[in-house]
Amino acid sequence: MPTSAVNEEARRRAQDAAISALVDQYAGALYRVAYSVLRNPTDAEDAVQEAFLRVLRHRQTLTEVRDHRVWLIRIVWNIALDRKRRAKTRPETDDVTELARVLPSTGLSAEELAAAAQHHARVLACVEQLPAKEREVLLLSAFEELTSVEIAAVLSITESSVRSRLFRARNLMAELLEHQRT
Amino acid sequence: MNSNPHNAMSSDSGPNSGEDTLRLIAGLPAPAGLEERVHKALGAAPRSGRVLAWPAGFRAKTALESNWMRAAAAAAIVFVVVGGGWGVYSRVQPGQAGKVVVMPQPMPSSGGFSGAGAIRTPATIPGPTVRDQGTKGPRDQETPPAKMPAAPKKAATGQRLASPHAASQAAPQPAVSQ
Repeated sequence: MPTSAVNEEARRRAQDAAISALVDQYAGALYRVAYSVLRNPTDAEDAVQEAFLRVLRHRQTLTEVRDHRVWLIRIVWNIALDRKRRAKTRPETDDVTELARVLPSTGLSAEELAAAAQHHARVLACVEQLPAKEREVLLLSAFEELTSVEIAAVLSITESSVRSRLFRARNLMAELLEHQRT
Repeated sequence: MNSNPHNAMSSDSGPNSGEDTLRLIAGLPAPAGLEERVHKALGAAPRSGRVLAWPAGFRAKTALESNWMRAAAAAAIVFVVVGGGWGVYSRVQPGQAGKVVVMPQPMPSSGGFSGAGAIRTPATIPGPTVRDQGTKGPRDQETPPAKMPAAPKKAATGQRLASPHAASQAAPQPAVSQ
C-alpha cells in the first residue's frame, strides 16, 4: 500500500475519533439547545444527528475550528431554527407530559406538580410571543454554560447587542407574565 | 451573565419566574442512548462526498489504480466531447449566399414628388410628339402642348381647406389614359 494511502487512512481514523469524542462530549448540550427551540424530543434528536452529519461532511475543517462547543451549538441552532421555520404547523409537545418529566418532583404533590407544569407551559407561550431576536437571546441565555460572548458568536452579533436584546426580552417577558396574571 | 441587575425576572421575583422555566428547559436531560444513536447514524452515513460512486467491480484497490482510472475517465470524457464537436462541425456546411434581388435605383426627379421607389410609373399625361423633324413649319412649331386643367386659385395658393372632402372637390382630377 503506498504511503499516501496509509496517511489518508490514518488521517481519516483520526477525524473519526475526533468526531466520536465530540458526540460523547456535546450531544447532550446540543440536544438541549435544539429542544429549547423545537420543543419536541424527536425533532431535537434529529437536529442533533443532522448537526453531526454536517460535521462529518466537513471534517476536513475540524482542525481549523477554535471553539468546538460554540461551533457545534451554532450549527445545531441554525438547524433547529430552520426546522422550526419549515414545520410551523407541527404541534410542540411542551405540555404537561414533557414538562412533568423534568420537574423536580421531590416534596411536591400531584396537584402541585400539575400546577407547576401548567405555569411552565404558560411561560413558554409567553416566550413564543416575544420578537424573534429577543427570544433567541433569551433562550440561549438560559444555558448556564454560554457566556454573552459565546451567545454573540452563535448569533453572529456583538456582545452589546446580546445585552440590550436580553434586557428588552426580560422586560417584555415581565410585562407578558404580569398581563397574564391580571 | 444571568445575574443582570436590570433583570426584571430575576430569581428573587419568585420561584415561578419565566427564566426559571427556560433554565428548566435548558437543563433538560438528554434522552438515554442519544450518543449511541448519533454514532450509529454517523456510521451509516456515506463516507465520501462524491456524487457518483464507482461500481463495486470497478472499485480501485490502490491509490495508483484509482489515479489511473480517473485519468482514463477524464480522457474518455474529453474524447466524447471533442468527437461530438467535430462531428457537428464536419456535418454542418457553410451556408450559401442568399439570392439578392438588385432593386433599380429610382430616377432622380427634378422637383415635385418623388417616385417613392416605384419601378414603373404609368404615363398619365401624353406628352408632346414630334411628327417630322425635317419639315418644320411655323404651324408645327407653334403647336401648344396639352395643358393641364387649371387648378382653382384657392388650392394653388396652398391655403388650408376646410375639410378633406372639400379638398377632393377642389383639387383637379387628371384624366388617366391607359
